[in-house]
Amino acid sequence: MTHPNPVPAIEITGLTKDFSLNLRGIKLRAVENLTLNIPEGQVFGLLGPNGSGKSTTIKIILGLLEPTVGECKVFGVSSVRVDSRLNVGYLPEAPYFYRYLSGSELVRFYGRICGVPRKRLDERVREVIDWVGLSAAAHRRVGTYSKGMLQRIGLAQALVHDPRLIILDEPTAGVDPVGSAEISELILKLKNQGKTVLITSHLLAQIEDICDRVAILDRGKLILEGAVNELVSMQNRQSLIVDSLPPAELEELRGWLAARGHALTAVEQPRTRLDQLFLSKVSRPQKGGEVK
Amino acid sequence: MSSATASTARTVPFSPGRLGIVAGNTFLEAVRQKLFNFLLLLAVALVASAQLFREFNFGSSELKFISDFGFGAMVFFGSTLTIAATAQLFFSEIENRTALTILAKPIWRTEFIFGKFLGVFAVVGVFCALTTLLLLALLYHRETALMTANPDAFENGRMIHYGDLVLMGVLQWLKFGVLAAITLLIASFSNTNLYTVVMGFFVLVICHLQYLARDAYGAVASLPLRLLVQLLGYVFPNFQVFNLADQIGIGEGIDSGIFLRVAGYALIYIAVIGGLAVYSFRNREI
Repeated sequence: MTHPNPVPAIEITGLTKDFSLNLRGIKLRAVENLTLNIPEGQVFGLLGPNGSGKSTTIKIILGLLEPTVGECKVFGVSSVRVDSRLNVGYLPEAPYFYRYLSGSELVRFYGRICGVPRKRLDERVREVIDWVGLSAAAHRRVGTYSKGMLQRIGLAQALVHDPRLIILDEPTAGVDPVGSAEISELILKLKNQGKTVLITSHLLAQIEDICDRVAILDRGKLILEGAVNELVSMQNRQSLIVDSLPPAELEELRGWLAARGHALTAVEQPRTRLDQLFLSKVSRPQKGGEVK
Repeated sequence: MSSATASTARTVPFSPGRLGIVAGNTFLEAVRQKLFNFLLLLAVALVASAQLFREFNFGSSELKFISDFGFGAMVFFGSTLTIAATAQLFFSEIENRTALTILAKPIWRTEFIFGKFLGVFAVVGVFCALTTLLLLALLYHRETALMTANPDAFENGRMIHYGDLVLMGVLQWLKFGVLAAITLLIASFSNTNLYTVVMGFFVLVICHLQYLARDAYGAVASLPLRLLVQLLGYVFPNFQVFNLADQIGIGEGIDSGIFLRVAGYALIYIAVIGGLAVYSFRNREI
């Protein structure tokens, strides 16, 4: 496990990104004056509707785009430098990989690109493939993988060089609830290992479950940022959950509260969440998945 | 999982190793493309078919005909393969978004571009080697048959300089290297595969014919036009310099000085055009 680092994993200051739309100089502003600090060891959710600037921000963090104005640093190194990517793993949205390679060949390829020493490479490839639960399918061609398996092999290639920061762009897009839950479990495992995870997703329930902090972007601007628990809790409300209270006793409780100047705002049946119900009812597939 | 397996040093020097990894993967992808197999089979079939035309000629001219026909097939299919494979292998990375995953790793764009180039260059090298070897085998077989049939015509021994044919194959390979670098330069700023392929063929024609423009305008045109044509002559490589067909096989053979100058000419163009492709690609938003 890595030790907490005083240098933020990601430090974005006054970031603006414009794209030229045509030769007449008309520009599209994708991100505007974004300032964001993500400390090491957190799971951070970057949220927003389509076109809000999430993917552009991620590409700038990865050095795939350069900021028009402002600065982005990864572990204190400017993101335009190749060095900044030494400790970063990235799983793109809807990843396509080389279909003609097997899962283990693919992870091996990316491991070599990342400079994993040759004598460690085989062991490391086995380790991460086992970790994402694809050992049984490691020798199959990636072209035969299901969507969930593609996401998992994508996660394996992102982790092969043991990065401190992992960026996951829509890791559960198009994945069924079971696969999605498994990816959530993997992310929480990464957090327990002290990794920093930056994740974007439209599954807000999932983000709520796994993220420590979130930022919400809209039309390129940061509109909200904070700890998930603080943002979603209603500070002036409390809930009491009791076992099947008879109507008479409920009335008695209402009166007791009224006598003390409090109102019983709502009486509801506690509900489980649909995703939890789904996961409790369906069986999880064998590791390795079905052959397409 | 274990911790810290990769280097944590804060510098990433240019690495021939990473360049080789990208090149190896590009080569692997290329040989699994049906286009490569198709063009290779077609070229081999055409080179082999040169023998079928032997009824038209006899003696030394027949051997010259087979040689010219074989190299003609190599040039035609090799150029097609070079442009199509370079464009396809580049845009498959962009369109499938595998470029995102690679470039998000600690790798220089220079390594990526030259890795792509070397992968294509290796594919074209295999193509040239196979077609040249086949041509050599055909010529050797036919020359042996002619020596038996007409011993008087071969009283001084074999007529064909087989070493020169190999040099000619190497020169064609280098020419395809220049063409691959040009196609990669176009692809580095182009948005579509089709545009890259069309422009690649357009430039191929210019490179083959630019000497005509230089000859035509060099003598008669006004000074500004003459200078412009001269400048274009430097911008576009002259592919005619690679055509040493008259000097190969039968005759005095290829002068090693000329071979080295032409090879140097190709390598300089590959380095300069490749450098421009890297510069263009560095500014490209992925």
